[in-house]
Amino acid sequence: MNTTAERDALYDRLIVERARAPLYAGRLSAPDVQGDGRNPLCGDKTHLDIVLNGHHIQDIRHNTRGCAICAAAADLMAEHVRGNTVAQALAVSDRFRAMLVGSPSLPVVEAQPVPLGALEVFAPLQSHKARIRCAELPWIALKEAFSHVDG
Amino acid sequence: MSTHTSTTHAHAQLDVQAIRQQFPILGEKVHDRPLVFLDSAASAQKPNAVIDSMASTMRHQYANIHRGLHWMSERTTEAYEGVRDLVADFLNAPSREEIVFTRNSTEAINLVAHSFGALLKPGQAVLISQMEHHANLVPWQMLRDRAGIDLRVAPITDDGDLDMDAYTALLADGKVALVSMTHMSNVLGTITPAKQIADIAHAAGALVLFDGSQSVVHHKTDVQELGADFYTFTGHKLYGPTGIGVLWARRDLLEQMPPFLGGGDMISTVTFERSTWANIPHKFEAGTPAIVETIGLGAAIDWVSKIGFDAIAAHEAELTAHALTRLATVPGLSIVGHPRVRGGVVSFTMADVHPHDIATLLDRNGIAIRAGHHCAEPLMRRLGLSATARASFGIYTQKEEIDVLADTLVRIRDFFV
Repeated sequence: MNTTAERDALYDRLIVERARAPLYAGRLSAPDVQGDGRNPLCGDKTHLDIVLNGHHIQDIRHNTRGCAICAAAADLMAEHVRGNTVAQALAVSDRFRAMLVGSPSLPVVEAQPVPLGALEVFAPLQSHKARIRCAELPWIALKEAFSHVDG
Repeated sequence: MSTHTSTTHAHAQLDVQAIRQQFPILGEKVHDRPLVFLDSAASAQKPNAVIDSMASTMRHQYANIHRGLHWMSERTTEAYEGVRDLVADFLNAPSREEIVFTRNSTEAINLVAHSFGALLKPGQAVLISQMEHHANLVPWQMLRDRAGIDLRVAPITDDGDLDMDAYTALLADGKVALVSMTHMSNVLGTITPAKQIADIAHAAGALVLFDGSQSVVHHKTDVQELGADFYTFTGHKLYGPTGIGVLWARRDLLEQMPPFLGGGDMISTVTFERSTWANIPHKFEAGTPAIVETIGLGAAIDWVSKIGFDAIAAHEAELTAHALTRLATVPGLSIVGHPRVRGGVVSFTMADVHPHDIATLLDRNGIAIRAGHHCAEPLMRRLGLSATARASFGIYTQKEEIDVLADTLVRIRDFFV
């Protein structure tokens, strides 16, 4: 760590590590659903392969070409939603977006707030509006993948 | 209006500190750091001379132009039309009537695509290059799709120069009516050999338009010496305000071309049945123009001309050489484009660090650069890149700022690798 990056809480060590050495990068040989996200403004793109077991996400891999924020967001998303039901993953997606745009809570009916865990490293994006799309791109791909699935 | 460009030729040396004093924004801090502004190619900062002239216009001498019979309108009309003389002088245009005010260079090119385009016939062609800004590509695609003309693209070399042999070959069948090309690439920094491009175009029976948005800032522009038929630039890159650009075109061309937009100020007579057009340049200036911005552009041209392009060009050449030397020492950094002649724009990539991460981390250190495709997506594809980082220099840029950039890039690279 050095002064350049210490000045910027956005680039948490976890983000840099996952961008450099992702744990969920790659392709799956027989995905049940797939999703793509593209940001035409910067050329970043991500592709998701997902294997479902009933309503559960049994396995997920991403193939991402993008900035550190985008690449780490894809990897941490994959880690977070693996084992979730599709409905749970979509709830996390909404909660994640609410965190990025800075709204304290969503008008959700559930009594329990959806925990974001490690995804909270992206909270400083609230003050980097131009970069929010970078972290959202994998979630857009996830929503696209699930648009073909009955919740 | 007189020429100001010869006053400082004898001592082509800029007092950068004295110049910086005239830009109030350069005293600002960003994220608690002194602002290091290396994004002048996107839009330049404004000197007091421009700010004061615009504020003073609105405070003391403002009314609509060309129509009022009162004192304020007459004085404002004089100020506005005075800028037309200044611009004609700035470009060494043969006549003030050949200067058309537009919103920016993009609108100027759209005007030509619309109005000169209306004179073209199916089967004729427009020729651009691979390194055009979208502003000099999309209007021609739109013309192609509505008029049935052909749109040709001259390739560039791997170094980022126009491939002159391929360019010449694309003109060989005599179908190209217009070559429309950048005078300086906003990505590669390439200054194109405009005179040679024009000579080759003319020999093949084509006219030539140069997009001077980047180049007019860095060196003296003489449309007659270049042999141009059309020339466009924008005020906001020339230390002037946004919202004001310029089209220069040869009188005989402007006279043949139909109007672009219809409305007030561009007519001679109007009945419900039909209208007739005003003389040039007013035929192309419909509606109330950007009066305050035009006066601001005049102040910018005056200010730049007093400094002189000999001094400006020397300063920016020194900065660019320094940047190329310093950036070459940053591990993993690659300069994008090695053109034969270049201006103060340097694009680069860094292995393992995305341009947007570079830009965000530089910003946190007070350093403003541009990252992305720079409104030149086809060029990015030609280069095999999705984005680059770009540092660009202006009249107020200091060598020390380039050193800060290079040192910070080294630290960013250390952080990511």
